[in-house]
Amino acid sequence: MKKLIASLLLISPLASASQCALESQYVQANYQVNSEQTTNNTLAQAQQFTLWRTPHQVAEQGSELVEVWQQLSNQQIRPIRYFQAHQRGIEYQPSEVQGEQDWSTKYQLVSDDFIAKMTLKSEQGEGCEQLQNYQLVQGDTKIELAWLVNKKLLSSMRISKPQLTQTLTLDKVKFDKAAVMQQFANWDSFQTTDYADIGDNEGDPFLAKMINLGFIEHGASGFYDAGGKALGGGHSH
Amino acid sequence: MVITMKKLNLISLAVVVALAGCSDDDDKIDSLTVENTLAVGSEQCINGGIETLTGEDTNKNGELDDDEVTATSVACNDPATSLNAQQLAPLTTNTWFKEAQTKLATSEDNIANIVKESGKAKNVILFVGDGMGISTVTAARILAGQLEGKLGEEHQLSFETLPFSGFAKTYNVDAQTPDSAGTMTAMASGVKTDVGVIGIDEAVVNGNCLSGKGHELITSLELAEIAGKSTGIISTARITHATPAATYAKAANRNWEDISDMPESEAANCEDIASQLVNFEENLTARFPSVDIDGIEVVMGGGRRHFLPKDAAFNSADAVSSVEGDRTDGRDLTAEWQAKYPNGQYVMDQASFDAIDVVNTKQVFGLFNESHMQYEADRSNDIAGEPSLSQMTATALDILDNNDKGFFLTVEAGRIDHAHHAGNAYNALNDTIELSKAVQVALDKTSIEDTLIIVTADHSHVFTIAGYPKRGNPILGKVVAVGETEPSLAADNMPYTTVGYTNGGGFRDLGEETDAEAGYNFAPVTGRVDLTDVDTQSPGFHQEALVPLSSETHAGEDVGVYARGPGAHLVTGTNEQSFIFHVMDYAADLVKQADEKVAN
Repeated sequence: MKKLIASLLLISPLASASQCALESQYVQANYQVNSEQTTNNTLAQAQQFTLWRTPHQVAEQGSELVEVWQQLSNQQIRPIRYFQAHQRGIEYQPSEVQGEQDWSTKYQLVSDDFIAKMTLKSEQGEGCEQLQNYQLVQGDTKIELAWLVNKKLLSSMRISKPQLTQTLTLDKVKFDKAAVMQQFANWDSFQTTDYADIGDNEGDPFLAKMINLGFIEHGASGFYDAGGKALGGGHSH
Repeated sequence: MVITMKKLNLISLAVVVALAGCSDDDDKIDSLTVENTLAVGSEQCINGGIETLTGEDTNKNGELDDDEVTATSVACNDPATSLNAQQLAPLTTNTWFKEAQTKLATSEDNIANIVKESGKAKNVILFVGDGMGISTVTAARILAGQLEGKLGEEHQLSFETLPFSGFAKTYNVDAQTPDSAGTMTAMASGVKTDVGVIGIDEAVVNGNCLSGKGHELITSLELAEIAGKSTGIISTARITHATPAATYAKAANRNWEDISDMPESEAANCEDIASQLVNFEENLTARFPSVDIDGIEVVMGGGRRHFLPKDAAFNSADAVSSVEGDRTDGRDLTAEWQAKYPNGQYVMDQASFDAIDVVNTKQVFGLFNESHMQYEADRSNDIAGEPSLSQMTATALDILDNNDKGFFLTVEAGRIDHAHHAGNAYNALNDTIELSKAVQVALDKTSIEDTLIIVTADHSHVFTIAGYPKRGNPILGKVVAVGETEPSLAADNMPYTTVGYTNGGGFRDLGEETDAEAGYNFAPVTGRVDLTDVDTQSPGFHQEALVPLSSETHAGEDVGVYARGPGAHLVTGTNEQSFIFHVMDYAADLVKQADEKVAN
């Protein structure tokens, strides 16, 4: 949390909510994802991903895969998937915004609708530092969420189940517009292929691999393991 | 002679003839002959006949009794050569029979009236359903019928009413199962080539630009241009995609849609496909400098990205990418096109399309989407709006028919293929139905006397219609057997759909999602899925697949070819796909007319 607080100092803590939101439009946020067995406290999974965002673009960057979502003027979401090692990308047609296609889910990792279902347990700080702590209990699952409300940024999330506890923690964040734009420009320079065209390009070794071996399945909000399997229990849809 | 007797009056029509008349001599025994008519189907004669019995009236009772018969002979009728009206009644009153008789008469008329002489087609229209294999046509026919409230199976798509049809063998020179580049090159130029190659013969090395030099093929559209006809290309795919590109471009790799798609070594020696489209007139003139070529009159489709610079300042109103254009050479080909054709209309949305003046407009360049145009079912979700395939066809014909010398038009339903690749039959079938509507527009706007219309596919897909569903069962539904109301269960005790795929991404249940590609979020599904509570007729349902692949694949079987108009009688039997070019050439004398233009 010290790192988090230090990074937050890049934006004036006394900024108004609207000013804070404006100044935090361009985000590079590093998250740590931990998953541990509750019974023996052993660390089962530990990985990182980076959330990048501009007002209308969001990227979740893992070690190999980058998922980009672009919000269109008619509120549709257009996904792109980049494979960093190959410097290639797959572009998809915009989908209608529905269910998990909710833009807030992409933009802030947890949807507005889900936060609205949670109970506000405590609140602290003000301006850009205003932090809200929410809680929701669903059956044997307890979800705790620390929410930087004016930055629309997840500070932490903890999902506790009888056998497993998962945590998502904001490790470091920057609000450097130039760096964020450069990163998106870098991905944009990758050679891309329409998803619709993959089936017609079995002669391309990269795409042939996609056809025959399949895509790495992405998980919700970065909660996926090295095999691409969703860890589950992330934000609700 | 011992006679085994049976009752002789078995046959009601028995005739008794006394060979010897009455005699005064009471001791004289008369010889008698009896003829019995044997019915059709009798044991002795399957076609009926006459049984003749002879004997002596020993008891003098005037009849030939059983024990008086001394000889029997049978004369069977020849096989029947005709049936009487009564015998035919069960057939002739049957609806299937009557409809077939009517069709037979129509077919005879079609054969009698077809213009067989070459060069009589003033206009040629080639419709291509990308990936529209036979099973796709069948399923789309049933769906179209069911959407009209029919049982479905009896329905006919517009192009199924065309009088002549045959099959095309689709393989590429180097591939058993083909791709669109090689197949459309075969149709457009009359020469089969390698997979992935556009407008160049098989001597080319895929991806090696210089290897194709000197092996470029001339296309039917180019011949029509040289001949002075108006020309047009329409596609719901990117207009630089393989199928439409094969009508105007030469590329050693189908993916060279703009310069950013080409390795520098290749871009230095060859022109990208989008540039070839805009420079079509100059390029063709350079090959045939003696001919006055006026360029392609109608170009409509998707693929704006390949015509715009990679600069957000050039973004269109419905750009979906932060930077719409892909071109890394800074060229704005839409502006270049407008400069070449200052009186032409560049259109990019439904409103500008609707405003086209079809009477006075000489050239139209329509790029309605950054990439492929929308699936017909998803069209309403386009930001700026875009026309349907049938609307584009109607507008194109209204412009092209302003030329007294005729026209050549290629229309591609490009997204049937994409929906199949995504394993989504709903969109594949609905785009096929839209193609049927586009063909109907062409049938209505042209004459059978002077316009050859051919409808075909470039290749098929591994799309199947299976199980034993009852008549009228929803084609996108689960199999419900004849006489049943609940879905049939497979050996795994789960229901299954009538249509499915041999390979691909498999099951997805995305409900009302009309974008077939929305299923990308999931890895291929292996194994069976319990569909009991799934609405398999919803737009977002993706059918199960046997072999798990991320993208469903093409299939290698033949495709149908349907034709109407002068020369259509040549569309018969099973032919190489390249034969289609030769039918079009025969019908319209494309080579002959072009030759004359070049010679003059």
